[in-house]
Formats: sequence, C-alpha cells, structure tokens
Amino acid sequence: MTVRGLQETGQRVRESGALWLGERATTAWITAVVFSHGNGVEEGPSRWKVSPEVFGTVTRWGKPRGLCLLAVVHTHLHGIPARLSRADRQYSVQIPDMLAVVIGEGGAELDARRWGWYLYDKHDYRQLLARELHERFVPENKERLTVRRADADGVWELTK
Amino acid sequence: MEPQVNPQENKQVVPTVGEQTRPDVEVTVEYLPAAKPFHREYPADETVGAIRTDAMAFFGVSDHRDRDTHQFFLEFRGQRLTNMTETLHQLLGPHHRGANFNLVEQITPGSAV
Repeated sequence: MTVRGLQETGQRVRESGALWLGERATTAWITAVVFSHGNGVEEGPSRWKVSPEVFGTVTRWGKPRGLCLLAVVHTHLHGIPARLSRADRQYSVQIPDMLAVVIGEGGAELDARRWGWYLYDKHDYRQLLARELHERFVPENKERLTVRRADADGVWELTK
Repeated sequence: MEPQVNPQENKQVVPTVGEQTRPDVEVTVEYLPAAKPFHREYPADETVGAIRTDAMAFFGVSDHRDRDTHQFFLEFRGQRLTNMTETLHQLLGPHHRGANFNLVEQITPGSAV
C-alpha cells in the first residue's frame, strides 16, 4: 500500500512520503498510512519536507482515533542510496523509538529488506541491522488499514 | 472571662470591586508521536508560554539548535500560537472551561550561530 501510493505521488521524479500511524504499544500495529502531499509539503528531487501545519492536521485527525505517529517513510530517487541523509536526520521527528524508513528507486523498490530502516535511539537515528529487522518487524497485510492523504488544510480520503 | 476570638476565623475573602472569579481551564495538549496526551488544570490567567513549557517537559522535548533551529509551538484551532504572554482567558474568552492544543515542531534550516 505504501509503495504504491508513494510511486503515484512522486512519479519517480520527486521524493514523496507518508506517515505510519498506529497505537504505541509493546507490539505496535500500523493501522493507518497517511500520504503527505500538497499544501504544506515540499516535494522535490532531493527533498521531502512536511510542515508543522500538516503534522497539526494529522494530529487533529489521528488522536481522536487513538493513533500515534510510529514512523516517517519517504522515498529516494534512482541512484540515491536508501539511507537517511544528514538533512533527513535533522528534519525527521526526533523522539525515542521513532522509526524512519527510506524506500529507494522512487518508491519502486519492493523488497523491504533493501529499504533503509532507522530507529531514533540515544539522540540519533541508527540503522537497524538485518537481524533486528527480522526479529522486530512482521510484515502483515491488515485488511482494515486506513489510508488517507494529508496536507496543511486537512486529512482527506484518497480519490483513487 | 470572655472567650477569646481569633480574628482570622471570622475573616472572609471578598472580591475587590471589578474582580471576577475565573474558573480553571482543563487543558489538553496532544503530540502526534506520543502515546498519551498532556492533561492539566490551569487558572484562566495562565499564559500560553507556561503551558507550552509544561507540555514540552511532559513529552520530553525541548527547543534546541544543531545545524538548524528546532522550536516547538502550541497550535490551537489550526493556528500556531506565537504570543507566549497571551493568557487562556484572552485566548478562549470568558466562557470556556477546556482547551485542546497540539504541540508541533518547526525546524528552521541553517539558523544556528
């Protein structure tokens, strides 16, 4: 779901991104994917940046539904490694246990093991080892996954 | 012997002319990454700045500078609050008993000195 939406948004010519939301718990399930696109979101060939206003609209939408921000996911275009850049580290949410995921090839990289997986831990993001990924993450298709688009004006149903 | 009367026991607090009793305000601050919101009751003359400070401490975040400047704001009804001296009474008016804020982060690139 995430990669399809990011490919549609970025069209492989600009970075795109999404927020993974769910209930923060010992075992946390991602139950909502919110693509950030439009007013209040900067999307360029080497930049995807979400304004505070977008986080505000997502907060107003998500909190009454019991949702927390669990991860920030964004793409890197072809030729750019799926690793967190310095700017990514600076601009991402710096909260313990926050996950940052980088999907290469403009979102076309389907093998999640080739994505960059980072966890905010002790004042910086550190890349998760393959062993940690295997132990800590379980891919599962949730039938009731909620999918939305958010910008500075609100959170919207996807039109397609 | 007549009983001694403690004058303090008969003392009554009377509002001065023009003074009105303002009920406390139930404040909730949500922060998107956090599992639980910040809840506290504040007097109506408490400032937005004080609530921001308390909420940031609760969520374990702080304004800071690295290569960029990271600053947290309270957001109310979709508007970022920038006047930290504004009181709840001024913000909400006289009839509100509760207020819901969001805490959001602004990162300004290259502002470090």
